[in-house]
Amino acid sequence: MALVNPGFVDAVKQSEAFNASACMNCGVCSAVCPMGIELLPRKLFRYVLLGLEEKVLENTETIYSCLLCKMCEANCPARVHIAENVRFLRSYINKKVFKL
Amino acid sequence: MSDQKRIGVYICHCGGNISDYVDVEGVLRAVQDEPGVVVAKTAMFTCSDATQQEMVRDIREQNLTGLVVASCSPKLHLFTFREVARRAGLNPYQYTQVNIREQCSWAHTGDRAGATEKAIRLVRGGIARTNFTEPLEPITIDTVPKVLVVGAGIAGLRAATGLADLGLSVLLVEKSASAGGKVAGLGKMYPHEKTGREIIARLVDEVKRRENITLFTNAELVEKSGSIGNFRVKIRLGGKQREEIEENAGCIIVATGFDTYRPREGEYGYGIDGVLTLAEYKELLDRCGGGLVRNGKPVKDIVYIYCVGSRQQAGEKPNRYCSRYCCNAAVHASIQSSEASPGIHQFHLFRDMRTYGKFETLYGRARDQGAVFVRYSESEPPAVEKGADGKLKVTVKDLLTFGEQIEIPADVVVLVTGMVPARNEALVDVLKLPVGRDGFFNEIHPKLRPVETVVDGVFICGACQGPKNSAESVASALAAVTQSASILKKGYVELEPLIASVDPGLCELCDVCAGACPYSAIERDHYQGKEVARVNEAVCKGCGGCAPVCPRNAINLKGYTDAQMESMIDAMLKEIG
Amino acid sequence: MPLPTGDTIGILADNLRMRNSVLPISAKSATSWARGLHLPRGAKTVLYTGMMYQLIPYIAAMSKAQAGIEDSFLANFVKLGRQVNKVINISAFMAMPPKSMRETYNRLLVNIALLLQRAGVQFGYLYEDELYSGALVYDLGADDVLKAHARKVYGTFQKYGVKNVITVDPHTTNMLRSVYPTLLDGYDLNVKSYLEVLVERNIEPKNRLDREVVIHDSCVYARYENVLNEQRTLLKNAGVTVKEPAYSGKFTLCCGGPAESLYPKKARARAEARVKQLKEVARNCVTMCPICYVNLQKAAGGEIELADISSYLVQAYC
Repeated sequence: MALVNPGFVDAVKQSEAFNASACMNCGVCSAVCPMGIELLPRKLFRYVLLGLEEKVLENTETIYSCLLCKMCEANCPARVHIAENVRFLRSYINKKVFKL
Repeated sequence: MSDQKRIGVYICHCGGNISDYVDVEGVLRAVQDEPGVVVAKTAMFTCSDATQQEMVRDIREQNLTGLVVASCSPKLHLFTFREVARRAGLNPYQYTQVNIREQCSWAHTGDRAGATEKAIRLVRGGIARTNFTEPLEPITIDTVPKVLVVGAGIAGLRAATGLADLGLSVLLVEKSASAGGKVAGLGKMYPHEKTGREIIARLVDEVKRRENITLFTNAELVEKSGSIGNFRVKIRLGGKQREEIEENAGCIIVATGFDTYRPREGEYGYGIDGVLTLAEYKELLDRCGGGLVRNGKPVKDIVYIYCVGSRQQAGEKPNRYCSRYCCNAAVHASIQSSEASPGIHQFHLFRDMRTYGKFETLYGRARDQGAVFVRYSESEPPAVEKGADGKLKVTVKDLLTFGEQIEIPADVVVLVTGMVPARNEALVDVLKLPVGRDGFFNEIHPKLRPVETVVDGVFICGACQGPKNSAESVASALAAVTQSASILKKGYVELEPLIASVDPGLCELCDVCAGACPYSAIERDHYQGKEVARVNEAVCKGCGGCAPVCPRNAINLKGYTDAQMESMIDAMLKEIG
Repeated sequence: MPLPTGDTIGILADNLRMRNSVLPISAKSATSWARGLHLPRGAKTVLYTGMMYQLIPYIAAMSKAQAGIEDSFLANFVKLGRQVNKVINISAFMAMPPKSMRETYNRLLVNIALLLQRAGVQFGYLYEDELYSGALVYDLGADDVLKAHARKVYGTFQKYGVKNVITVDPHTTNMLRSVYPTLLDGYDLNVKSYLEVLVERNIEPKNRLDREVVIHDSCVYARYENVLNEQRTLLKNAGVTVKEPAYSGKFTLCCGGPAESLYPKKARARAEARVKQLKEVARNCVTMCPICYVNLQKAAGGEIELADISSYLVQAYC
């Protein structure tokens, strides 16, 4: 059972950099990802939207594995700013976990 | 037998639909010498233009006085061939359709000889009947330029103003104490953000400004007689005196709306403090101007559960339909909530989002505001229980993360409840309204005749026909206005003359016929100093229930007289030879 | 065990903050390519290298070292390394590329400068005042460090009165053209890639190159900066037959390079996959980003001949 953390939702919302609300979970992003990252981004972004912070942090390696190559964005039918979202998560983790 | 008829008989191959299983030429040989037959032919398609023209020519050149076409069901082509007769100058009621397709070739595909024999008997019967046909004229009824509208919600009110503006008087009957229906209780509505109250106030004002609308509140329709064009209705007025008034109306529009689904105790936690129906939540939202507050506490986390009471697959008498308005209404409520309390968290637990048409933009807006949509499966519905710190706890399996079990804390859980049919047994009984399996009233044709019912002159509109939002209800109300006006503005209606008639010479008024008539069409009259029964032509449906019970054989059904029926039986029983 | 992500980013970020670059590189070696070109110091229009080409040999050397550390017991020491790095420049010990490699990359910058001169562009250079754009730190999400750095970079341009910047690689183009405006108020530089400038100037070829090449688009040019036609126009005008591999243009496949700093092994696997696609089309492959170049080079294994686009262009147009 993963607990929704409204505080995490607020932190994400405040930045305005993260926006995956248009995602319709079609999975094209995962299908075209050259890194073959199954989790990224559709599932990961849902963890963020749902406020499941622990789930997000469990996937730190995935988040830093992204090439930011935007192959997913070029194919995203909902025009989600996937690379920007990944960068946002990195910056969140840098601050929150790595204390950078 | 009256004067010998000159009858034309046409037997259809129906391109093989008939001739594959019936020896059409054999039928022709067997009927061409029947009494009265002067022309007998077969045709590949009797309904084709060429054959129709051939019939018209034959009727004119051979001076035919009767026409028989043996083809398909009269449901398909009765009016086609009546029209052929009319074009040729023959009274359309001198025409008889014999069904040798649905009732013969298609029913006996394995028995050619039997099917052929049956076809011969059917055609002979048709010829025999035609020998006794008389020219008939449709019954013309003058219409009353007034419409009874039952229900003064948004659909009924709008129908009333629409009718009034076409110059028709309106009796607007509302069961409750005030007009407005469900919309009168609504706050802001999409897309213009006017409140339901404002919209209804404006409509009621429009109604009041029209002198030809009479609005009765606390009133019910209790009796109806007569038929399309001229119904007689009895309205019971509530209040202290409980008086009843009688009025005439040309048409009746039913706009009795819906009821909100009421969850069972415990259904998605209903009954726990903080678990509300959508209607209850919208009231709360309507009351809170700046900042959502419930029981003195700020509302920060809201969970919506969709499809409550709609799209049910299991249970006793499940509501299988989608209630159509609720996705949009819930998403709209979500947007309003965000505007009232910008920091709130909103989770929408849905099965399928159906924000069709222009409502899709609302859905996008809600998501942009941060509302999160979680898809659940009907087989694993969310659970609502009391949680820690006076909060509610909603657990759900999110299909979009491939089954992640999540737990959401909530201050308010909104059950997005759908529509159920309003309970109107008495009205259904009075108007003989057709009720569908889902409990809503049935139209004749879902696409082409969406507001007409099988009862001529009785229309349905708004959510009594099925779930609709207010705009759709108004659209169907205006459709009912058009249908009513198309009848009443003409000034008269034509009815089938195939109805019962009483021979006043024979009648001794035993009243047995009146007891047999399901339509109360038997009235009393005076004839040569005695009281006799008389058929109200506007009311009689030609069912024939009265004819056989008359001890004096004084009642005949036009087009199906005793003489015709007997001759048909004789003809059918003749040796095939 | 993979490299400790936080500490690696920490080292890179610390470097940028304290030494103005993710990897320390001496001013001498960063500017040595311009020797003899007589470029004016500063100007209204400058050629901005962003140090990417100069840094590549160092990054290559470091990642080689990192790949050795990754999955070994040494990975544990990167954490310690970050503390030490603040005092002693440890990257300098980790990464010292051979001279020949540095000269190869310097040559590419010379090519670009010659091409621009040939196209009649008047431009200067900031020499040792030029700073790294911070692209790597941006990618890793070290936003605060980046913002401060961007202000420094912009300050330098302002100091020299620069209005137009000509960039030489996609990452720097993206940083200066699309990222900085979101970080800095009043940012007003006009930024173009040299490929765009050459096409704009209608540069005419002097020699015809009858060659067949497969083109590997940079993700950043293709999907961030919409630079898709310029490279093809310049090659085609020079008589080069440009072949498209599976996944090209807007849908080009990443070389894997961006994973280099944290996951060298993953980066290598991606590069091998891309090389496989490229070699099916032609033996000669053109790149236009130093990161693509170095990463694909590692996986090329002699099966394809890689060259930066400037090497071809200089042969045709100069």
